[in-house]
Amino acid sequence: MSKWRLKFSKLGMGKYISHLDLLRTFTRSIHRADLPVRYSQGFNPHQLITFSLPLALGVTSETEFVDIDFEDTVSSDEILMRLNENLPPDIRILKVSQPVCKARDIVSARYIIDITSTDGVSKEEIESFFAQSNICATKKTKKGEKEINLKDFIKDVNVLSAKGNCFRLDALLSAGGEANIKPDIVTKKLEEFLNKGEFESVDIHRTEIFFDNDKKIESFC
Amino acid sequence: MNIYERKFEQALKKIQKPARYIGNEFNSVHKENFDGLVKFAFCFPDVYEVGMSHLGMKILYHMMNERSDTVCERVFAPWVDMEEELRKNDIPLLSLESHRPVSDFDIVGFTLQYEMSYSNILNMLDLSGIPLKSSERGEDAPFVCAGGPCAYNGEPLADIIDFFILGEGEEVNNEIIDAFKEWKTSGEDRISYLERISKIEGVYVPSFYDVEYKNDGTIEEVKPNRSGVSEKIKKRIVKELDNSYILDKMIVPFMDIVHDRITLEIFRGCIRGCRFCQAGYLYRPVREHSVDKLIETAQKMIDNTGYEEMSLSSLSTSDFTCLQELVDRLLEITVDKRINLSLPSLRVDNFSMELMEKVQTVKKSGLTFAPEAGTQRLRDVINKNVLEEDLLRTAGIAFGGGYNRIKLYFMIGLPTETQEDVEGIADLAEKVIGIFYQIPKEIRKGRSVTVTVSTSSFVPKPFTPFQWEPQNRIEDLVSKQKLLKESIKTRNISYNWHQSHVSFLEAVFAKGDRRLGDVLIKAQKLGCRFDGWDEHFDYEKWLEAFSTCGVDPEFYAYRKIDHSEILPWDHIDIGVSKQFLMKEHDKAYEEKTTPSCREKCSGCGATSFGGGVCFE
Repeated sequence: MSKWRLKFSKLGMGKYISHLDLLRTFTRSIHRADLPVRYSQGFNPHQLITFSLPLALGVTSETEFVDIDFEDTVSSDEILMRLNENLPPDIRILKVSQPVCKARDIVSARYIIDITSTDGVSKEEIESFFAQSNICATKKTKKGEKEINLKDFIKDVNVLSAKGNCFRLDALLSAGGEANIKPDIVTKKLEEFLNKGEFESVDIHRTEIFFDNDKKIESFC
Repeated sequence: MNIYERKFEQALKKIQKPARYIGNEFNSVHKENFDGLVKFAFCFPDVYEVGMSHLGMKILYHMMNERSDTVCERVFAPWVDMEEELRKNDIPLLSLESHRPVSDFDIVGFTLQYEMSYSNILNMLDLSGIPLKSSERGEDAPFVCAGGPCAYNGEPLADIIDFFILGEGEEVNNEIIDAFKEWKTSGEDRISYLERISKIEGVYVPSFYDVEYKNDGTIEEVKPNRSGVSEKIKKRIVKELDNSYILDKMIVPFMDIVHDRITLEIFRGCIRGCRFCQAGYLYRPVREHSVDKLIETAQKMIDNTGYEEMSLSSLSTSDFTCLQELVDRLLEITVDKRINLSLPSLRVDNFSMELMEKVQTVKKSGLTFAPEAGTQRLRDVINKNVLEEDLLRTAGIAFGGGYNRIKLYFMIGLPTETQEDVEGIADLAEKVIGIFYQIPKEIRKGRSVTVTVSTSSFVPKPFTPFQWEPQNRIEDLVSKQKLLKESIKTRNISYNWHQSHVSFLEAVFAKGDRRLGDVLIKAQKLGCRFDGWDEHFDYEKWLEAFSTCGVDPEFYAYRKIDHSEILPWDHIDIGVSKQFLMKEHDKAYEEKTTPSCREKCSGCGATSFGGGVCFE
């Protein structure tokens, strides 16, 4: 038996597939592909599938990871090929390899955020939002709502472009078990701050996940 | 990407369950060169997870998409939060596959599964920008058609629907597409297409018929208003199921839907003839698939879907002639793949624990049976042909086999029902509980037993022997529910019942005529939609719609109709004769039962189709 780490993308309308639905989608795709997946023991056996870092609903990504246990009778190439034949088009497996790092060491994730406002926005306005020392926000947790300083969760941010009503951000946000923030909380607070009405469109795309390798921050793989 | 797609995609951020609207599920069909094809929008007038559970839509969707000259895309009723976003952002209703406006399609087809979805049809047309009345649609507008069980009396929708398709769609849907292509190249006007297809058996163009009424509101006459149109429209069936289009794949949704599993249709029709049951008459004669074909289809379904559950589908599943063989052979291909097999619609008179043991390997919790009436007298009236001994024996087998929960379905308000019949429901449930305690403690499971009694209110339906019957008034139904509640003395019995106001409107639209068209239009304007959902059903708005249009709903639901009266659906021929229904109606009052089609032919008329059980 071997645990494989599958790197995949979730694009287009696929961003509206929830985490639970994604799990079901993988389970059924593995069935269709007739891959020798391993099951848990117990009264209600389920396929051994673990996602490294859940993706918020409405966000696309080119770097998602899922670990799946297969019997040794199947090669990584076969897994990649047969799953791609059986997954819906918005989900594509990009790479199948042995896991290197652990999901519990994940610390952050990078997002490219494209926003269209109803009105013109300057680079300075956006930067002044992120320059605040305290950005009060409400975070939903399992126990209810919690007041947080959003700044603690924003590790780095760059305004890549700002032209007319459109601007693009590159944001590195806390992710993983220790501290996790959904990127749409950041865009919501920015929308409030700019005070120019509701954004016409917000597109968030995850490009990379990082983990702490003994104090060195490296790309998750 | 069309002009709406961007706005549509952003709107999905603001609503619940966006997966309802995204499409692109595995096995969904996306065609290039859209504009060069015959474009069929298959509309289900309810929310995605309900519509996606419907087998008929899956069959016709894949069948039409197998044609290289046709594209069929799905459309569902947007939930109220999505409707608000669509209206706010001026986005018309879009198809699921290509996100194109419904009005871009050539034919917009609705499936009519239940009367309480009619307001959703109008709302969906309104959201699509298609005029509600067929008479107001221009040359460029799509044709709006409808099929499914409620289409057999589609008269309340006669002003709205351009044409109805009566019966099974496997053949006739292809014929209307062929006719569309011919008509399109001919360059003729809109009405010519309707004239062409009105010649196809099973197609009913309501605007080609005029209805005249008597002073008392009953029908004087229904007759064609042009030449070449037949007086009666006969439903279509597929004679040999094995030789027709067979569904061997299904779209696998992302989100959880109502029936999220493989549905294996094993036969059509029912041999029983319960007198209240519309499906029992509409789908005659009984036609079965062969076991070989079913096994072949089941294997393909498993390979093509990856589902972990398979359910057999039909009316009265235990009447399938080779059920034991089918189940044995299905288990051979499902067990190793960890696929659960489930059997719905079991009858108490031929229930086998051995069979249940086989299919339910893990969960042993609840079983459901439908005696429908509380006394033998009333079960004879409705021709349910289930004896109390059968139910008690079955309960004994089930309890002995480790079950400790049983659900029992009944109807209240059935013709000839008395107080004794209502109290009989409680008695029967108590007898079932008694059976549990007769079983030695070491055999039965758990210390106590639960029997859940559910009642629905009887709705007289067209094409049944009870079509002439009045429905009980709402207040009578409520007092019967109260009587039953008071008759239940044991805490082991829990009782739940259906809202009577919904049943009343169901009766009105089931037996309604064309004069209800204006009421539907008014109700939609008042905001009626999702009437099948308790949280959205607004009875007051419906009453307002009736009174504004000067239509008395009680005329349709509460009137005892004479056998001599012309019924709004008399020009539709389902293959079962009106004489037979009258005879069955009389026999109900004599408390006499009618044997099943396999025991003896009772001469209903369905032999005219030349196939099925009539020739076994």
